[in-house]
Amino acid sequence: MSAAEARRSFLKAGTAAAAGAFAANAVRPAAAQENPRQDPTPAPGAPTDPPGGAQPRGENDVRADYDGFSRYQPSRGNDPDSKWYIGKEVPGFRRGEEGPAPFIAPDVEKLPYTMENGWKVFRLNCTPVRREFLPGYYIDVYGFNGSMPGPTIEATQGDKIRVIVKNDLPEPTSVHWHGLELSVQDDGASHLTQNMIEPGKEYVYELHPHEEGTFFYHSHVAMQETFGMVGWFIIHPRKPFDPPVDRDFGLIFQNFRIDPMTTVVDSWGMDFNWHTINGRSGPYTTPLVCRHGERVRIRIMDFSPIQHHPIHLHGHTFWVTGHEGARVPKTAWIPRNTELIAVAQASTLELIANNPGDWALHCHMTHHMMNHMVQHVGPRLRGQADTERYTANLETRPAVDLNSKALGEVPPGYPQMMQGMKMDPRAMEKVWNRREMKGMRATAPKTIHGLFTALRVLPDDLYRLVMESDEPVEKGAVFAEIVRRFGDYGRYQWAPMMNMNGGMNGGE
Amino acid sequence: MTRPPLLRLAASAVVAGLFAAPAWAQDAGRATLDGPLAAPPPVPTGGDLPVPADIPELHAADDDPIGRRFVEPPPVPEAPRGLGTVVEREQNAAFAGAPLTLDEALELAAANNPTLVQARAQVQGTLGLAVEAGLWPNPVFRYVGEQIGVDREGETDTPGEFQGATLTQEFVTADKRDLSRAKFLQRTRVAEWAAVSQQWRVCNDVRVHFYQALGAKETVAIREDLLKAAEDAVVTAREQWNLGQATRSDLHLANVALQEARLNLLMAENDYLEQFQTLAALIGLPLETGAVVGELDGESAEIDFEQVYREYLDEAPQVIMARQKLREDQITLKRELVEPIPNIFVEAGSGYNFEALETTGTASVRFDIPIFDRNQGNIRRAEADLVRQRREIQRTEMLLRRELATQYRRYLTARQHVEQFAEVILPEARAAYKNQLDAYAEDRQQWPDVLTVQSSYFDLRQRYIGHLVALRTSETLIRGYLLHDGLNVPDPLPPGHLDVTAQPR
Ligand SMILES: [Cu+2]
Repeated sequence: MSAAEARRSFLKAGTAAAAGAFAANAVRPAAAQENPRQDPTPAPGAPTDPPGGAQPRGENDVRADYDGFSRYQPSRGNDPDSKWYIGKEVPGFRRGEEGPAPFIAPDVEKLPYTMENGWKVFRLNCTPVRREFLPGYYIDVYGFNGSMPGPTIEATQGDKIRVIVKNDLPEPTSVHWHGLELSVQDDGASHLTQNMIEPGKEYVYELHPHEEGTFFYHSHVAMQETFGMVGWFIIHPRKPFDPPVDRDFGLIFQNFRIDPMTTVVDSWGMDFNWHTINGRSGPYTTPLVCRHGERVRIRIMDFSPIQHHPIHLHGHTFWVTGHEGARVPKTAWIPRNTELIAVAQASTLELIANNPGDWALHCHMTHHMMNHMVQHVGPRLRGQADTERYTANLETRPAVDLNSKALGEVPPGYPQMMQGMKMDPRAMEKVWNRREMKGMRATAPKTIHGLFTALRVLPDDLYRLVMESDEPVEKGAVFAEIVRRFGDYGRYQWAPMMNMNGGMNGGE
Repeated sequence: MTRPPLLRLAASAVVAGLFAAPAWAQDAGRATLDGPLAAPPPVPTGGDLPVPADIPELHAADDDPIGRRFVEPPPVPEAPRGLGTVVEREQNAAFAGAPLTLDEALELAAANNPTLVQARAQVQGTLGLAVEAGLWPNPVFRYVGEQIGVDREGETDTPGEFQGATLTQEFVTADKRDLSRAKFLQRTRVAEWAAVSQQWRVCNDVRVHFYQALGAKETVAIREDLLKAAEDAVVTAREQWNLGQATRSDLHLANVALQEARLNLLMAENDYLEQFQTLAALIGLPLETGAVVGELDGESAEIDFEQVYREYLDEAPQVIMARQKLREDQITLKRELVEPIPNIFVEAGSGYNFEALETTGTASVRFDIPIFDRNQGNIRRAEADLVRQRREIQRTEMLLRRELATQYRRYLTARQHVEQFAEVILPEARAAYKNQLDAYAEDRQQWPDVLTVQSSYFDLRQRYIGHLVALRTSETLIRGYLLHDGLNVPDPLPPGHLDVTAQPR
C-alpha cells in the first residue's frame, strides 16, 4: 500500500466518523450550553479548508506561505524583521470580525452569568473542594463553586460586572481581582480595603473593566491561596486582537504539598511534591488539541505558592504576546521556546501550529515533572517494589541480603529512575477515556507527569477523528499516521502496548 | 517635630559606625557624624589569602579524599563472635535442647526441687518431737546399800542394814504428757503449713521464671527482626550513598546501629540463657537449655485488691501458719500452767536386812512441793509468747497487706499497659507501619522512613512483652500469696522461748 493509498483508506474511516461526529457535535457541548449565555463568544465554525487555492484578498488574509514562513511546515521565514517571521503576525483561519476565539481552559468550567439591568451578574461561592488530581486521588483543597481552580469568568472590555461572592468556607475570606485597575473598595484586599467576608455571608463586587487581557481572581488570604483558591478572569478586547487566533487555551499551573497517604494539602508545607495544571496532574492533564496550520494562543498562569515555572513547548517557536498586565505591543514580542513564568504571573504565547504531532508542553524544572517525589532506595531498587512480602505478616519482616549491593559494579548515581505513582488499570482507563488522548502513543502517560501536558497538532482529518468522531482508535494509531505522513515511517517503532513495567500501565 | 531628624541622625551614625568599625577599632569614639565615612578594609589579594597548601589539616585527608572523588562506602562491620550461628540458622542455637512447657516444668519441680524434701523432713522432725514429748518417763532402777558396817548384836560390821534394789517410777500428773504431745503435734501442723508455703514458693517461682524465659525468648525473636531492620538500614544507606542521598557519616552511623542491633540480639540471647538456667535450677535439675513453649498472652480475670486480701486472711499459708502457731502457744501455756502440779515419784524395792537377817521391802512416795518454784517464770514466758504470737498474726496480716500493695501496684501498672498496648498502642503502631508500607507501595513514601516506623513498631512490641512478663509475674505472685524464692532454705519454724528446753515438753 502506498502512502497515498493508506492515507485514503484512513480518511475513509475518518469521513464516516465525521458524519457521525456532526450529530455528536450537536449533542456534546449541550451540557456547556445549558445556559446560553455561559459562553460569551460563538462556537468555532467548521474547520476552514486549507486555503491553497483561494486567492488572498489582502495582505493579512489566510494563506499557506508568508515571505518564506509556511503554516504547514516548520519554517522561520526569510527576514527576522518581517512581520511574518516565525509566523509572528500570520493570522489564523478565523476571521477577526467573528470576534475572539472561545477561551478553553481544559477541565475547568466557565462561570455562567445573568444580565440584570445591563450588569453581567456572576455568582461565586468560596467552597471546600475535593478535586481528583489523578484518577482515584481525591485531594482536599479550597476553590470556588466546587472547583479548583475556580470556574472561568469571561467578559468583554467595558462590561459592567457584578460578582456576588458568597463565603461557604468555615473561615473568613475576600476575593481579589488580580490586575484590574478598579475602584479601591472593590479590590478585595482583605482588611486593607474591606472587612472580611465572614462564613455564610455575601459580598458584592462591582467591576468596570476598561482593560483587556489575562487576569485572574483569587482569595486574598495567603493560606487559602496556597490551598488553590484561584480562577481565570479573561477579558476579551472590544476590538479583537490582531492577528486573530483559532484557539485560545488557558492553563493554570499550581503545586501543593501533600504528604504520603493524605488527601489534605499541607498549606504550611514548603516542599511541594504535587503539581497540577488546571487542577489535574499528568497524565490526567488534558492535552490541547488543534488543527495543523492554526494560530494558537496559550495563556499560562503560575499560581504556585512560591515556585516559578520555566514552561517549555516542543517542536515550535512561539511569540510571547502578552502578560497578565496587558497585551504586549508587537514591537516587543519575543520569540521563545521556554517562557519563565513567576508566581502570580501569566504569559500569553502565540504560535502557528505548523508541525504536526504530539508535542510536550511542560515545566522544565525536573522535579516538577514528577507527581510525588520519593527516593527510590529500598525494596523497589532491589527489584521488590511489591511490599506484599512485608504486609503478609506485619509481625516479622523478611531479611535483607547484606551483600546484595555490589555498589562498585554500578556507576555512582545509578539508577536515575523516578517511580510514578501506581495506577491500576481502571485509573488508566480514566486517563485514556478522554477524547483528547485518542491515538496517542500507548506509553505517553509514562512521561506526562506533574506539570506536563501535550499540544497535539493534527491534520484536519485526524483532528475530526480524534475530536469529533466516536470511532475507536488504537493507541498510537494517530501518532503513527502523522509519522507516516510527515516523518520517516521506516524508522518508527510503535510503543509497546502492554506490560509497561507495573506503574503506569497501559490500561484497557 | 524633632523626631524624624533625630532618627535620621541616629541611622547615619549607625551606618557610619558600621563602615568605620574595622579601621577605627581602637578609637571607636571618634565615629562622629561629621567625620568622613571610613573606607572599607582592603580586600586581600590572591597572594594574601591563605591557600589550602598552607593548612595542614586539609592535607591530612589527602589519602582519603572523601568528597572529592567517589569512594566506596565503608565496609559493613564483622558480626561479633557468636552471632554467626544465630543469624544463619532458622532455629536459634540458644534453644537447641528439648522444649519445655509450664506444666512439665511444674511437675519436674515438684519431683526435684530440694527444698520441698527439706520442708517435708522438717515436718517429720517436728512429728518426732511430738512422739518424744508424749512418752512415759523411764523407771529408775536403783541399787541400795544402807548402813553398811552397822553392828549387829553379837557381831560387828555387817555388810549393812539393807542391801537391795528399788525401782522408781515417775507418775506424770495433770495430763502433762498429753498436753506436750498435743503441743508438738500442733507444731507439726505449723511445719506442715511451712511446707505448703514452700510448695507455693517453688511453684510461683517456676511460673514466674517460666514467663520470664518465655518473654526473653520472644524478645530474641523481635531482636532478630530489629537486626534485620538494621541490616536493611545499612543496605539502604549504601544505596543512598551511591545516589548521593547519604553522607559518609550516615553510613558510619548505620554501621554503628547495625553493630548495636547485633549486640542487642546477643544480649537477648544471653538473657534467655540466664532465664532458662534459673528455671532449671528452680526445677532442681541441670537441664540443657531448650526452648520454653507457651503463651505469654491470654485472658486473666481481673484481681480486686480487697477481695484478694480477704482471701489472704482466710487462706494464705503465712496467716494460717501464724494462727496454728498461736494454737501451739495456747497449748504451751496450758502445759506450763500444769507444770507446778507435782509429778509423783513412787519408789519400791526389796533387799536383805543384814541386821534383821531377813528380806525386807522398801517404798517411798515423793513429790515437789511447789512453794518457791511454781513455774511462774515459764508461765510468764508462755503468756508473753502467746501475746507475741497474737501480734505476730496481726503483723503477718499487715506485712501481707504491705507486700500486696506493692505487688498490686505492679499488677495494675502492668495490666493497664498490657491492655492499652494490646488494644491501642500496638494496633496503632501496626497501622502506622502498614500505612508506611502501603505508601511505599504507592511510591509515596521513602524507604528510610518506612524503616523508622517499622523499628518503632518492633520496639513497642518488645516493650509489650516486658509488660506481659510483669503482668504474669504479678498475677502469679498475687494469686500465690506473694510467696517466692523457691531455692531458699524452707522457713524455720517460728520460735518460742521454751524451745531451749532439752527435754521437749
Ligand atoms: Cu515548575
